[in-house]
Amino acid sequence: MKHQQYETWILMGTELNQEQHRDLQSHLKGCSACLSLYKAAQQINHLFNTSPVLEPSPGFSTRWVTNIEKDENRKNQLILGITLSVISAATLLLLSTVGLQIRSALAYFPQIMLEMVTLVANWIVFLNQLWDIVTPLVRVSIKLISPAWLYTIAVSLSGITGAWMISLFRSRTLQKELSA
Amino acid sequence: MCDTEQQWIAEAKAGDKDAFAKLVEKYQKPVYSVCYRMLGTPTAAEDAAQEAFIRAYQAIDRYDISRSFATWVLSIASNYSIDQLRKKKVTILSMDNEKHAWLAPPDTGPSPEKAALEKEKLGQIQSLLTSLNEVDRAAVILQYWHDYSYEEIAETLDLSSSAVKSRLFRARQLMAEKWQGMQLPSAPPVNSTAKRIAHETSTI
Repeated sequence: MKHQQYETWILMGTELNQEQHRDLQSHLKGCSACLSLYKAAQQINHLFNTSPVLEPSPGFSTRWVTNIEKDENRKNQLILGITLSVISAATLLLLSTVGLQIRSALAYFPQIMLEMVTLVANWIVFLNQLWDIVTPLVRVSIKLISPAWLYTIAVSLSGITGAWMISLFRSRTLQKELSA
Repeated sequence: MCDTEQQWIAEAKAGDKDAFAKLVEKYQKPVYSVCYRMLGTPTAAEDAAQEAFIRAYQAIDRYDISRSFATWVLSIASNYSIDQLRKKKVTILSMDNEKHAWLAPPDTGPSPEKAALEKEKLGQIQSLLTSLNEVDRAAVILQYWHDYSYEEIAETLDLSSSAVKSRLFRARQLMAEKWQGMQLPSAPPVNSTAKRIAHETSTI
């Protein structure tokens, strides 16, 4: 068997069967290089198996809670910072756009003002003309209709209003009774 | 996995930090141990273990409850330690060097003699682990100290089983060569412990 096979057996760390074990032992008796390697592998295994237990200093989980809270606070602050930055940038952009619009509109400011004044004046003239037409019509109507008719109309309107209010009241009472 | 642990995991998934803190309490030793063996100093191990648990908490929604929690959290710790070694190239310092006494691990024994011996052993182990690259080191640590099978190591380190086997073979070869070098008379810092272990194992 090749010399390399013994090295593989030594270094693979797997269990050897009895025949392989005997074969290896007899080889080790005559091969100082493999014996040295075998001893080194055994000594390393022993060193690792007898190594001290490693433990963190007391209060590890308490420190973890503190660290996770710090981490979360840092992340929250980062999110808040990003949000505020985005809002500030958007506001600046909006204000800049409005500012530019106002600046460009300033050139036409007198014309815009003149148009607004004209519009208001036109409305006043229209309302005045409407008043001039409606006022004589009302005066003539009052004179033409007799007081008896006026009373009749007033009483009828009061009656209709009263009936409407009673029906409203009754419908609400009915709804309450049904829901109860 | 016991029912209590499953309950803690369920509560942690619902955002309960205190429930996860109980899991931290339970698994702090293996996670710290992996980080210590990987990074070589108590300070780096503490930071890495804390970060591993923070990452685990943040990823708890993605944790598959059919998997072992220990395997999952150790995989996070191993991979984080590998990343740290790759990024920062953490210098592994010898524990038995008097200049670095402040890096000593927590006091593990009652007698100073025992503590000194353990410190010396830790130095030996770290010296051997330093001779390996990050992934090989993680594979060795998971196999020797956490009894992981080839398949579990492959799953943890995202490798194939055959790759794990060849990596472990190469790692043992490198460590054996390093160990043989450490036993030479020209290597005084580790000579005494090496001789002691050689004597202890002479009957094997």
